[in-house]
Amino acid sequence: MLRNAFDSWGAPAKLFHWVMAALILAQIALGLMAANWRVSPAKLELFFWHKSTGMLILALVALRLLWRVANSTPELPSGMAAWERAAARLSHFLLYALMIALPVTGWIINSASNVPFRIFWLIPLPAIVAPDQPTADLFELVHGGLFTLLALVLVAHIGAALRHHYVKRDTVLARMLPWRRS
Amino acid sequence: MRKILSPLWLCGLLLAGTAPLFAEGADWKMDPAGSKLEFIATFEKAPAPGVFKEFDARLRFDADKPAGGSLDVTIKVTSADMNIPDVNKEIRGKDWFDYAAFPQAEFHSADLRRDGKRYVARGMLALKGVKQPVEVPFTWTAAGDGAVMEGEFTVKRGAFGIGLGEWKATDTIGADVKVKFKVKLRKG
Repeated sequence: MLRNAFDSWGAPAKLFHWVMAALILAQIALGLMAANWRVSPAKLELFFWHKSTGMLILALVALRLLWRVANSTPELPSGMAAWERAAARLSHFLLYALMIALPVTGWIINSASNVPFRIFWLIPLPAIVAPDQPTADLFELVHGGLFTLLALVLVAHIGAALRHHYVKRDTVLARMLPWRRS
Repeated sequence: MRKILSPLWLCGLLLAGTAPLFAEGADWKMDPAGSKLEFIATFEKAPAPGVFKEFDARLRFDADKPAGGSLDVTIKVTSADMNIPDVNKEIRGKDWFDYAAFPQAEFHSADLRRDGKRYVARGMLALKGVKQPVEVPFTWTAAGDGAVMEGEFTVKRGAFGIGLGEWKATDTIGADVKVKFKVKLRKG
C-alpha cells in the first residue's frame, strides 16, 4: 500500500521516516565532529558533508510534508490519555519544525560567514543573508540551541515509541517498521 | 604644395620616423582607485575569491611595439582579504602566506610581446620565497591619456608552498589558483 490508512503507514511514509532518521543521526555525528575538530582539511571536509546533508534533509522534509498533508495520518490507539495525545502532537510538531529550522539556521550561518559552498560539489548555495560576522556568531548559538532541543525531542520520540511497544503493547511502533506489511 | 616640405615639417617627419628605434614605449603608473588584483582559490570545488588590497604596477609599454617594454609589480601579500574572518586569520600563518617572513611578492618581466589581439608578459613571480616563471596574458585598452590592462592566469599554489603540511592535499582546497587583474594606468 502506498497511501496511509487509518491504522497503517504506507510505504512512502515509512521510507521518508527511516531514510531521514538515518540522515539525521549521521548529520548529528557530522555536526558534532565538524564543530570540535581542530582546523584541518578533515574539519573542512566534515563541514562540507554536514552542510550537504543538511540541505538534503531540508529538501526531503519539504517533500515529506507535502506527502503528509496529501495523506491521512494513522490514528493513535484509543486508550491514550489526553496528555499523551498532546505530547505526541507536540513532539511531532517539534520534530518537523526542527527538521526545517536546523538546516535553515545552518544556511544562515553559511551565508553570514560568507563561505563558498556547493551542495555535494554541484549546486551553488545562494546566500539568504548578507555576509556579517555577528549574524554568523548569533546563529551558531541558535543552531546549537536548536540541536539541544532536537536531542531532547529525539529521546522523547524514541522513548515513547519503545514505551508504546513494550509497556503499552500497542501497534504504534510496529506499524512504522519497514518489514511489517501494512 | 611645396609648403609641405618646409624644414619644420621635414624635421618632424624625420623624428617621427626614427623615434621608434630609440623609444621603448611610454612609462605608465598605476591608478590604485581603478585597479584590482584578485586571486580565486577553490574550496570543495566552489570558487573562494580573495583580493590583494595593496599592490602597485609600473609599466614601460608601447602597444604597437611591445618588445623592449617591461612590467614590474609589487604586491603587499599582507593585504590579502578573503572576506571570511576565520580564513583571513588562517592565511597569515606559516602554512599559507606566512606574512611574518614573506610580506611582499613581486613580478618582473622584461619580455613583453604581442599574442594575436592580446599581449603576454613573461617573467618571474617571487612569492613566499619561491621564484617561478609565469606567463601573464593581458588585453590593452587605451582610453584618452590612460589605459587599462586586464587579464587572468592560473598558478599552482603548491609550486609556491602555499598550503603546507596536510594542506598540500588538493581535494579540499584545490591546486589551481586563478589570478585576475585589472590595472588602470596613467602616463607618467
